[in-house]
Amino acid sequence: MSEFISKQDLLTWLGQLMGERNLVAPTRVDDLLLFRKVDRVEDIVFDFDNTTMSPKEWFYPSSETLFYVEQKDGQTELIPAAIEKETAIFGIRPCDAQGMAMNDYPFLEEPADALYMQHRDKTALIGLACITACPECFCTSMGCGPHDPANVDILLTEVTDGYIAQVLTDKGKTLLPDNLLTTADVSSPPAPVLSEVPSDGIAEKMRQAFDEPFWDRLADRCIHCNICSYVCPTCYCFDVRDYTDKERIERVRSWESCQSPGFTRLAGGHDPRSTKGSRLRQRFSHKLLYFPRQFGALGCIGCGRCVRACPVNIDIREIIKDVQQLGVKSEA
Amino acid sequence: MDFSEEIRSKAKELLESGTVDCIIGYERATDGVVARPLFVYQPSNVDRLIFDQTCAHNLTKYLLNRKDKATAIVVKPCDSRAINLLINESQIQRDKVSIIGVVCPGIVKAGLDNTSGELQDACLTCQQHTPVLYDFLVGEPASEPDVPDAYPDVSGMEDKSAGERRAFWEEQFSRCIRCYACRQVCPGCYCLECFVERLDPMWVGIRIAPGENEVWNTIRAFHLAGRCIDCNECERVCPVNIPLSLLNRKLGKEVEELFNFQAGIDAETPMPFSTFDKEEKLGISE
Repeated sequence: MSEFISKQDLLTWLGQLMGERNLVAPTRVDDLLLFRKVDRVEDIVFDFDNTTMSPKEWFYPSSETLFYVEQKDGQTELIPAAIEKETAIFGIRPCDAQGMAMNDYPFLEEPADALYMQHRDKTALIGLACITACPECFCTSMGCGPHDPANVDILLTEVTDGYIAQVLTDKGKTLLPDNLLTTADVSSPPAPVLSEVPSDGIAEKMRQAFDEPFWDRLADRCIHCNICSYVCPTCYCFDVRDYTDKERIERVRSWESCQSPGFTRLAGGHDPRSTKGSRLRQRFSHKLLYFPRQFGALGCIGCGRCVRACPVNIDIREIIKDVQQLGVKSEA
Repeated sequence: MDFSEEIRSKAKELLESGTVDCIIGYERATDGVVARPLFVYQPSNVDRLIFDQTCAHNLTKYLLNRKDKATAIVVKPCDSRAINLLINESQIQRDKVSIIGVVCPGIVKAGLDNTSGELQDACLTCQQHTPVLYDFLVGEPASEPDVPDAYPDVSGMEDKSAGERRAFWEEQFSRCIRCYACRQVCPGCYCLECFVERLDPMWVGIRIAPGENEVWNTIRAFHLAGRCIDCNECERVCPVNIPLSLLNRKLGKEVEELFNFQAGIDAETPMPFSTFDKEEKLGISE
């Protein structure tokens, strides 16, 4: 037996949520699918594989004011930015929810990022289990799965005429009133089967591959745009600049990427990652070696967005396979 | 259409004879359907090369990373114009490049295979099915198509009111994530330091927000006026589907009408914005 919510009740409930908080859900924008604040349930897309951009922009926006410094009557005052309204994200996939949990490691480690923490605290995640998958999905190889309930407050799994509802946290209980749920004799549909990527032991293999010419050859075709970093749920590099006005300074952070030429250029001009190969190696080393070393978990959750969006088919699944083989070839 | 065999045998010959150290061409991508760029250094690897109607990329941007090295490159007609542009602007040396030109009937839409036949929009108004320059030609030179209206998309925009156009572009630019893929893939964008990355003084703010996105996209378009060779790469790579070619083609049309000039048709005609003729009036009343 499972707890069940009918499609009609779900729509009613989502409508109610819009009244009391921001409701963010997958919506069609042009021919893209993006997490946007919705004001009408009709704008929510229920039938999709995954969104073009990850939901990280709702925790770590592409640009965000950190604080203002204002001068008034000879006094200087620092006014930190604050998140006022509660938000619920509907339709987040288990992989992306895991991605958000991954971001907690760097952002919430002491000293915690105050703004990110507020976004996390004030946002509830209503997950949708995956019934189908994109050809590029490989979450099952990265410690997650299409029906993984681990990182959401509520997980909904679509069945005939409605959804199986798993209310998993206190935040979830506050959000979804019991009276909307019934008990039904329905079972969860099978999870889609994804292609396997050989991620076991990849951290050590990445360490061994550090000096391989492999990276320079891969960089031949990389155009060093920032697409992979920006569509990625777990890339979190940023730049910070001050916008100064007469009596006010605004400090803003915006997404940045280790793939940008000049990302690591230091005062004086030295750039420790001046070659394209070293920049490309950095991105994959961060996901597959440095992040696991520092936080104990892989820094990629297998959503496949970078594979879909890369204009020149830099494919992390292929890179993992190739790096696993690098040592084997040289030993042979 | 499949020219893979012809390209492989030419590539093998160029590498084995030592004419070039590297062939820049295409291979099959990991999805088994579309193509991706390939750099071949060893004759034993030439069998990975392919050429069919999935080969969308303009590979000429990569020549800028190999300025002093003898390189062979596979180009479609639109891509070949970029080589003329880069020679004209003194960015590459003609004698370092061996050009394998391919007669092109058009490239299929993203994600479609070689047999689907459904062409990209940019290919529907293409007037150049044979490369404008090459050392070796693959395929039979075709008579160039008669395209009565090369700019139907631009005319469509021009018919709208200024207010409608502004609303359209504001909406488009609001989606921009400033990933700079348009710039990175563009053969005409080769500044060592792009204006958008100038930090001191900061020309454009780092905010990924409508106002700054608009400055970024419009200034980039102006920098390409009279220089864009209409390969449509910027639009193809844009992850949020901004119709960047529409901007570039509008400026291309203006330059064509004012100066009777199209970028990259040859490598010698002075570029309109690199030359100054004091007799030019451009229809501005005195």
